[in-house]
Amino acid sequence: MTGRGEVTTGPLAVGQFVSMVKRTLSHEPMFQRQAIKGEVSQWKPYASGHTYFTLRDDEGQISAVIWKGRCSIHPSIKEGSEVVVTANLDLYVKRGNIQLVVERIEPVNTLGAMEEARRQLVERLANEGELDRERHQPPFAPKHIAIVTGEGSAALSDMQRLIDNRWPGLRRTVIGVLVQGDRAAEEIVRALALTRRLANPRTAALRGEPPVDLVIVGRGGGSPEDLWAFNLEPVVRAILASPVPVVSAVGHESDLLVSDLVADIRASTPSNAIERSVPIRAELEQWLDETDERLNLATLRTFGDARRQLIALHARLKVAPLAGINSGKRSMLALQSKLNRATEAMFAHERTRIVGLEASLHSIHPQRVLERGYAMTQTADGEVITNASMLTVGQRFNLQFVDGAAEAAVTEIHTTEE
Amino acid sequence: MTEKQPTYNEAAQRLEAIVATLERGGLGLDETLKLYEEGAALLKTCQAELVAAEGRLNELRLEDLEQELQTQEAENQN
Repeated sequence: MTGRGEVTTGPLAVGQFVSMVKRTLSHEPMFQRQAIKGEVSQWKPYASGHTYFTLRDDEGQISAVIWKGRCSIHPSIKEGSEVVVTANLDLYVKRGNIQLVVERIEPVNTLGAMEEARRQLVERLANEGELDRERHQPPFAPKHIAIVTGEGSAALSDMQRLIDNRWPGLRRTVIGVLVQGDRAAEEIVRALALTRRLANPRTAALRGEPPVDLVIVGRGGGSPEDLWAFNLEPVVRAILASPVPVVSAVGHESDLLVSDLVADIRASTPSNAIERSVPIRAELEQWLDETDERLNLATLRTFGDARRQLIALHARLKVAPLAGINSGKRSMLALQSKLNRATEAMFAHERTRIVGLEASLHSIHPQRVLERGYAMTQTADGEVITNASMLTVGQRFNLQFVDGAAEAAVTEIHTTEE
Repeated sequence: MTEKQPTYNEAAQRLEAIVATLERGGLGLDETLKLYEEGAALLKTCQAELVAAEGRLNELRLEDLEQELQTQEAENQN
């Protein structure tokens, strides 16, 4: 600071004094590169390229200047805009005016107002009890998933790939929408309205498919503005209106949107939505096979016990006195008929299994095998020759190729020794 | 199929319970048989549920699906 001595030696020249003030101001870190929020007034872009304005709020105001080309000015900034500036405090010595020299200027009205609207929406939903409403239980194995997301987006192809890994051929309806920008909310709402129609059994029957039983709505990561549609009331209300479970899958792990707060399942990412709602089919099949085997084994064990009992009864009956014979015989016959019925039931079950196996065998068409360069040998009667021992020297037989047949004769037979 | 078809999960849970009961043993033949038949039917249900999840892969732009549904519903009314 300037010493007291200067004051006592006589009056200071005003210019000198103002320069001293300027120096002091410019050395104060609080006044340099400070972020300040306020409203723009008297916005005046000059022909010189400089822009002058006043930054104000209800408590105070200060002049500000943006030197030509110093920073980019968002086109939405105008009289009355809420802005945040980063500026250095300066004093124009010639006039004794204090002003802000702006290094950066950004509109805040949009994001600020959006944040506020979001806060109010969450508060309203909380008051209505929507945030802790009872959630729909998602199906363990969905039969028809509807996905509402960006058309051709990376998030969509991630989800598709993941579904195909977990459950190839799982029925799904993808509704491509805009997921950011002014029209995103409206399109998401319309798409969710379609999922409600697809979840209606009557509409589904018209289309010849099961009703939608799970809805995934989401998009990949982006800036808060990009994701904002998922914070808007119409989208949130459309999620709440869904008769079937809705998975909200927006952005990355750290993004929490209002859609996440109201959905039946909050997935951290689109891929996570698939992991949480689509089981791995091969695992289910394996479980079913194992359970089938356990069911048969456990039942057979009980029958085995009964069979042994039957044999014992039979033996005792042979040596029993006449009086005991009738009752003994009756219980033996009863046991016998139960065993027969049980055996029949098991055979019936096994038969359907075998029929199923046959069907899958048929689907491996011989044509496919022939196309790979194999030929099928058949006797003149059309019987398939499966091993060399079926042939005799001199016998004529047919060779079936993919595009026709040839007749051949056996000249020699070599059988493979074990 | 007049009564409500159990979901995959319901069927699987009941199936697991049946198998566990049978594995514990000590049941009469009648009961064993009844459980066995129920189990076999549940297995079938579960397998059918897996097959039923296979189907069309639709991928449409919003307006196209709106149009498609509109047409289908209109045709149905005529």
